Amino acid sequence: MAQSNFDRRRINGPDESFQPTFESDDEGGSRWKVGDPRKGRMAQEIRPIFLQAGLINQANGSAYIETEKTKIACAVYGPRQSKTTVYNEKGRLNVEVKFAPFSCTRRRVPIRDAEDRSIAVQIQQALVPAVRLELLPKSTIDIFITVIENDGIEGCIAAGSAAASVALADAGIEMLGLVASCSAAIVGNEVWMDPIEEEGQIAAGSLVLAGLPALGTITSVWQTGSMSPDEAIKCMEACQKCCEDIHSVMAQSLLETAQNT
Amino acid sequence: MAAASASVSAASSSDQAEQDALKGLTFQRLHPRAYLERFLAENVRPDGRDLDEWRDVSLIVGSISTADGSALVRLGSTTVVCGVKAEIAEPELDRPLEGFLVPNLDLPAICSPKFKPGPPTDEAQVLSDRLNDVLVSSAVVPTTSLVIEPGKAVWVLYVDATCINYDGNAFDATLLAMVAALKNTTLPKATYNEETGRTVCSRKVREPLQIGRTPTSFSFGIFDRAHLLADPTSFEEPLLDTTVSVVIDETGGLTSVMQLGLGLVGADDVLNKCVDVAQQCWRETRKGVYEAS
Repeated sequence: MAQSNFDRRRINGPDESFQPTFESDDEGGSRWKVGDPRKGRMAQEIRPIFLQAGLINQANGSAYIETEKTKIACAVYGPRQSKTTVYNEKGRLNVEVKFAPFSCTRRRVPIRDAEDRSIAVQIQQALVPAVRLELLPKSTIDIFITVIENDGIEGCIAAGSAAASVALADAGIEMLGLVASCSAAIVGNEVWMDPIEEEGQIAAGSLVLAGLPALGTITSVWQTGSMSPDEAIKCMEACQKCCEDIHSVMAQSLLETAQNT
Repeated sequence: MAAASASVSAASSSDQAEQDALKGLTFQRLHPRAYLERFLAENVRPDGRDLDEWRDVSLIVGSISTADGSALVRLGSTTVVCGVKAEIAEPELDRPLEGFLVPNLDLPAICSPKFKPGPPTDEAQVLSDRLNDVLVSSAVVPTTSLVIEPGKAVWVLYVDATCINYDGNAFDATLLAMVAALKNTTLPKATYNEETGRTVCSRKVREPLQIGRTPTSFSFGIFDRAHLLADPTSFEEPLLDTTVSVVIDETGGLTSVMQLGLGLVGADDVLNKCVDVAQQCWRETRKGVYEAS
């Protein structure tokens, strides 16, 4: 439902408008029940990833990632001069996430809200340990992420971190390794990897893990919902394994870009 | 020895080429006007095009499943994604038989180093306003076709375009994307329930929009009151004194013309020339651009 804020910097529509509501009997009997197998993939399978670097020529580095219905574009500008007058001996990494208004099922107002910022913080936490910021005093690296189509917030965070890593590498910024990220959800008593939006809604809890497969370290773990510690450990191990596969996809795309230029 | 000296000379010639390229880039950064003037003196532009040549256009529609209609346009390197979302609202009291069409262009920080994150810049606001004018004046989607129940429920079409890569001429690319997205849009069949006052949509039946005219736009810039450049890039744009945009509909007729600045090249007024060049380009390359999707 669109709020009645008159934004004087944009073309405005009517004060209030509502998302269309659909007839309930059109849904059919396709509701998921506990014990049903996953639709379309195996429980441990992640969606196929299409990742290409260097599509935005205005930026220092860029990447575009597509995993079925999640499409994210990422651009890196930097290192450039810090706006602040305070001297900082380590560089700053600034991540901004923006959802296109048509990216979610419900239209998103172009004003940035708390969800955008929390995703940006998660991606920043995943990337900061990997970037050699001590080599860039007084500088800022800006990472801008635009979500063109969104199919599940966990998938968004994972894909965004991967795209940001590849964009940083494309920009030639020194890093300790590529950051790969994967998400998992507990559905029933199974671990389902890379959940989409529908699966995220029926899950009891979900977990997003980011790490450096090249060094075997983990940079960030976010867990939401309810899961027992054993389930959380199982999710983390499954995510780490998937991160290695994702890492090879990322490295392959960077290699192809380097070979083509 | 010969092989070693050959490889050394090859290395030094590639070094020389690199050094030349670096000098060229530095010159471009420090003296952009002089750089452009040097190219125009040879009747060519920095990216190798002729003065009246347009960049290639590629259009992909329908790739975004969360939107009711979508289009992705690449005009050279300028990339614009447009999505249409349909919502339901009450019509205005004095216009009970009209729906709403709300276009907006967003130029976020991702697309160019000159845009900073934050509220829409002047450029984005001006472009959104111009696009709104063109879409309304050419009645791409007649708002009378968006009525569900007169006076009670109408469709609101939010046409949001986001620029992903800004390499000049966002206006042409965005108009193309918006019209293509509207052509691709399908709305669910909606029925208004008199008793509850609510509108319910069908999941199964979707109808395409009623499309009126499908305009295409052609933008020019005048540099130094001496050269008319078609389809300026982001390097050329800040150096232009005047920009002219000509909007042509699907019959080759003129929809609207916008000019910012004095339209003089030498001593002649070039507005008519711009219209002719635009119509010629439309006939040669853009006539079927919306059909291909």
